[in-house]
Amino acid sequence: MFQTVIIALNEGFLKTFEIFCVTLLGALPLGLIIAFGSMSRWRPLKWFVKTLVWVVRGTPLMLQLLIIFYGPGKIFGYNIWGTGDWGRNAAVFTAFILNYACYFSEIYRGGIESIPRGQYEAGQVLGMTKPQIFFRVVLMQVVKRITAPMSNEVITLVKDTSLARIILVYEIIWAGQDFIKSSGVIWPLFFTGVYYLLFNGLLTVLFGYIEKKLNYYRG
Amino acid sequence: MKRIISVLAVLVMALGLMSGCAKDDTAKTDSEYVKDKGTLVVGITNFAPMDYKDENGQWIGFDADMAKAFAESLGVKAEFKVIDWNYKINELSDKGIDCVWNGMTINDEVLAGMEVSNAYCKNAQVVVLKSADAEKYNTLESVKELSFVVEAGSAGKKTAEAQGFSFREAETQADTLLEVSSGTSQASIIDLLMAGAMIGEGTDYDDLTYTVSLTEEEYGVGFRKGSDLAAKLNDFFKSSYADGSMKELANTYGVQESLIAQ
Repeated sequence: MFQTVIIALNEGFLKTFEIFCVTLLGALPLGLIIAFGSMSRWRPLKWFVKTLVWVVRGTPLMLQLLIIFYGPGKIFGYNIWGTGDWGRNAAVFTAFILNYACYFSEIYRGGIESIPRGQYEAGQVLGMTKPQIFFRVVLMQVVKRITAPMSNEVITLVKDTSLARIILVYEIIWAGQDFIKSSGVIWPLFFTGVYYLLFNGLLTVLFGYIEKKLNYYRG
Repeated sequence: MKRIISVLAVLVMALGLMSGCAKDDTAKTDSEYVKDKGTLVVGITNFAPMDYKDENGQWIGFDADMAKAFAESLGVKAEFKVIDWNYKINELSDKGIDCVWNGMTINDEVLAGMEVSNAYCKNAQVVVLKSADAEKYNTLESVKELSFVVEAGSAGKKTAEAQGFSFREAETQADTLLEVSSGTSQASIIDLLMAGAMIGEGTDYDDLTYTVSLTEEEYGVGFRKGSDLAAKLNDFFKSSYADGSMKELANTYGVQESLIAQ
């Protein structure tokens, strides 16, 4: 019994881990693009991005998953996701990346705006171009400053992956819950907590290490 | 010799018991017994849309309302009693209830232990799909290629497994309908009774329909073994089917698709 449960939970956790990784890979760069959009001097773009962030942060991720996956077929009459596993996964990734990119964008914006004006001016005096100033002077300082709030979001992401089950993607909570219906035992569901705790413990240690490594200059 | 005598003795005793029972039955029929006490006690469980409570705590449902009407035709009052489904036959013979009227599937066990009325409703596991696909997939052979979604742990899942369909599991039967309706799965397997109530015209799933019935079962009402009430109920079914009142009631509770002509 224990072995069957562990095998099933491992399989579920693999899906959880997959959602976690793909979301981070997609949302980290997309968040930066959204952050630039929300700081744009071109008003229409700025307001469009601000509205997007408002909608995405203002509605539950669970609802976004349902609308992104079932909406095209149910509301517009054209299902873009197909009937296979691939489309289902793609819908999960889309919803998670969009959602997390919006949260990340606000953290990036806070980090970027915390860099003193003087540094940009100093860069200009030295004859650097705008991209050069951003990537060579500003960005690394931003990374340092946002590590702590980002670790919050990343840990939340680990737990949010459990929402994918709402569109029948079998992550670890589903795998645990399946034992209630199939064999009437509940401990596998509770046991999934161990997986989350261990994984988040690992992430906490990793973030602690990163913060320490980046702690080379205080200014 | 001793053994033969004892066997004979047991036989005689058994015969005596049986004739004793028979005498009781001839003395007073089951319908007379019910009329004398003035109530028809109906054994039920909470099972929408057949027997369930309305917001005032009154038992309603297709079965409950039919039971009330039948009791009225006998000149008695219907009384509902929630029973342990596993002990329905014992409840009947102990006279704790007078009939079992709760979407009871007619099977060998039920036929052996009860006097069962004619079947009045059928239930089945049906394949639900988009109305547009209905013509193409109306045989068991043709639906085999579809991608199914079924409720985890349901009869529909067992059916899908038995048929060797490829399927995905969802939390509830209702969730499977959302899958089919938005096209993310091609077909679902749910109860016919539920299909009658949840899909088709007047629902949000008016683009869905059902085609193939996979496992069929029929519902009947159970009385005490040897009871004359079963025949009386059959007559009642016939007359209320003929005057349309049974059909009307079925419409009220969305079971019109499952009603069996009497």
